[in-house]
Amino acid sequence: MLGRLRRFRRLWILLAVIGPGLITSNADNDAGGIATYSQAGAQFGYKLLWVLVLVTISLIVVNEMSARLGVITGKGLADLIRERFGVRSTTLAMLLLLVANATTTVAEFAGVAAGMELLGLSRLLSVPVAAVVIWLLVVRGSYPVVERVLLSIGVVYVTYVVSGFLIRPDWTEVLRASVVPQVVPIRDYWLLAIAVTGTTITPWMQFYLQAAIAEKGIPNDRLAYSRLDVILGSLVTDFIAFFIIVATAAVLFGHIRPDLLGNLGAADYARALAPVAGPFATLLFAVGLVGASILAGCVVPLSTAYAVTEAFGWERGVDRGISEAPAFFLIFTGLIVIGALAVILPGLPLVRVILLSQDVNGLILPAILIYMLVLINDRRLMGRFTNGPVANLVAGVTVVALITLTLLLLAASIPGSPLTG
Amino acid sequence: MVFLSELLGAEVVDVGQRRAGRVRDVTVTPIEPYPLVTGIVTSRRQALVVPWSEVRTFAAREVALRVPREEVSPLPANPDDIWLARDVLDKQVIDTDGRRVVRVNDLQLVESGGRMLLVAADIGMRGLLRRLGLEVVGKRVARLVGRDLPIVLVSWDAVQSLSDRSQDAVRLRISAQRIGKLHPADIADIVEELSAKQRSAIFESLTDEVAADTLEEMEPEEQVSVIEHMDSERASEILEEMPPDEVADILADLPEARAHEILGLMEKDEADDVRELLAFPEDTAGGMMTTEYVAVSVGLTAQECIDALRVLEPEAESIYYVYVVDEEEHLRGVLSLRDLIVANPNTPITEFMRREIVSVPLEASAEEVAAVLTKYNLLAVPAVDDEGRLRGIVTVDDALDRVLPEGVKRRLPRVR
Repeated sequence: MLGRLRRFRRLWILLAVIGPGLITSNADNDAGGIATYSQAGAQFGYKLLWVLVLVTISLIVVNEMSARLGVITGKGLADLIRERFGVRSTTLAMLLLLVANATTTVAEFAGVAAGMELLGLSRLLSVPVAAVVIWLLVVRGSYPVVERVLLSIGVVYVTYVVSGFLIRPDWTEVLRASVVPQVVPIRDYWLLAIAVTGTTITPWMQFYLQAAIAEKGIPNDRLAYSRLDVILGSLVTDFIAFFIIVATAAVLFGHIRPDLLGNLGAADYARALAPVAGPFATLLFAVGLVGASILAGCVVPLSTAYAVTEAFGWERGVDRGISEAPAFFLIFTGLIVIGALAVILPGLPLVRVILLSQDVNGLILPAILIYMLVLINDRRLMGRFTNGPVANLVAGVTVVALITLTLLLLAASIPGSPLTG
Repeated sequence: MVFLSELLGAEVVDVGQRRAGRVRDVTVTPIEPYPLVTGIVTSRRQALVVPWSEVRTFAAREVALRVPREEVSPLPANPDDIWLARDVLDKQVIDTDGRRVVRVNDLQLVESGGRMLLVAADIGMRGLLRRLGLEVVGKRVARLVGRDLPIVLVSWDAVQSLSDRSQDAVRLRISAQRIGKLHPADIADIVEELSAKQRSAIFESLTDEVAADTLEEMEPEEQVSVIEHMDSERASEILEEMPPDEVADILADLPEARAHEILGLMEKDEADDVRELLAFPEDTAGGMMTTEYVAVSVGLTAQECIDALRVLEPEAESIYYVYVVDEEEHLRGVLSLRDLIVANPNTPITEFMRREIVSVPLEASAEEVAAVLTKYNLLAVPAVDDEGRLRGIVTVDDALDRVLPEGVKRRLPRVR
């Protein structure tokens, strides 16, 4: 019909639904992701690729569960946990989430510090400035505008894909390593396997993604679009992750003295971009790392504050102000302060801190997945949209695998045990 | 008086102090104003309910029955009953007194004349701590810092339950719609905090008039989302109650097919007004104007004009100015209500109407319209087409809405 309607887009429905999945997965390749995948490639070559491939399958299944929970119930995960499990279990879930997200925030600030140090800026300056910038961005409500800028910085990581091709790795070896499991039974291997899982499927992401989808109020009959959104998002994330591992493996693995492998820094990881960027590899890596870290540095504290206040029924929202929503601001600000303070100590090995935080996420993830599994199999809640056997199997195997990995890690950490490397 | 959290898990004992199960849930029947306890659920899985009539005392830690356990006759649960732990506890509800969305941390039950009633929801910190088994600790800590830890209750007659399941929505409609009695601006504030599905359930329960008034108070994106989640029939009924300019704004943001469908279901006159407005780009006088204005014919006397207004019963928003038009709708003059009232009833309006009219063309930008409104201190300005025919008016609030930067609007204080 008339002028104003005609302007409207054909793809209206798709555009209205698409978004949360792609945004979340972009934020997922944050400081933790980049450091973990780089370390995996540098230290073990292609030997963790098969883990990434399996993790991608469970990432798709788990994100699809988040999307389905969000669309069908119209509620966030924290909300559902509270309504289904009561106060005690909710308190436990929220404590776990706070621990996981506090360590993730620490990792994001470590990412800012590491990126800025590559550019020659001291963390004593970059970290406090980043903390203030993040706080103001979110509280002033200018975050949605900046989100686009930060997301576009994430495109920097496409260069890993280019780099991965330019290096001309042995593709048969890459493919073989992707499907044939190779295990190096030492502590660092278990640690990295957990970290790769914990950084790809993060606890915070499940809360953020479901809340973002629920907020859109997507009708049940458009679930398919939402599924498409998260599946595409998961594939894009892990496509880049795959090439980060391939590029760092080709450039660094076998070219570094084994005794130095445990103490690699951001400057070493940046070399994986050299085939494409030459002398600008460091700059490119640093810009990407800082952009991704600030993006996740906004999203993680904010989504935590929303989740916890939602679960306990406290006032929330940045437009409420500190006096009206004190708990919300306390959690949000507290996480930023903890994150910034933790990495400001000079001499702290930033990359170690990042890797460790991803392990904490990997250890906490099974608990969050168990909550999700119970919820999504609740027929009263989900009606005919409960999990099918395949989804239950994949998610269940993920839980069991993570717990097994944790036990292997513990066993390998006991001095004198046969698993110690 | 007892809290639900103290009852859940309590031992059920029979007349001979022998165990007869545990309290898994408590059922109530939704009567006004306070729901009546009907029984105790002893097995959630089998949905078995011990009728309240078989209960002798009902207290924390222990529920004593009147009969030996062999004679207890658990009944299958009544599908219309509400299970407090399953359906109410931990859920979000609206506190219509405080006009906010809160979470039920606990429920207070009171015995009155041999009946047990649900009287209040505990929404405070103390309720949370009680659920965690930390109430005493919490009180001590509070005392240490010189504060007390009050029990924050909302009386059940001020609680509006929420639901996002269709089968519950039916049950909730039976109970009083408390939220419908609030001011539409307050309803709008509350529903903006809810999920899309809960919001739909609330809108389903409101009358068309209240729903329309509430919708008018909401943010543009939220308005669109509400209409999107409604079936077109209901949407058209609500939109008919709204000024055409607002309807046009909403429909312009809907998918085209949906907008057509809704327009087709609206009354023809209303739909035509909206169609006319939809033809103009959003940020021009044409897109911002409303067609709800008061226009009278140029040949009337003051008394005839007042009589005409009585018949028209214009909305409050549009009565600031009375426009005078000729047979071809050309704008000829403007009157204020004051002019009309002080004039001699028999004077033709042409004798005292103001002829130097400020108007804007349909293509004028939002900024130009705002500039005209501020320069001449007007509450509304008429929008005219190329031939000087009156097509609508732009009110100052609509113009302000367009030109105020988002940031300024956000920083305006929240009015409670």
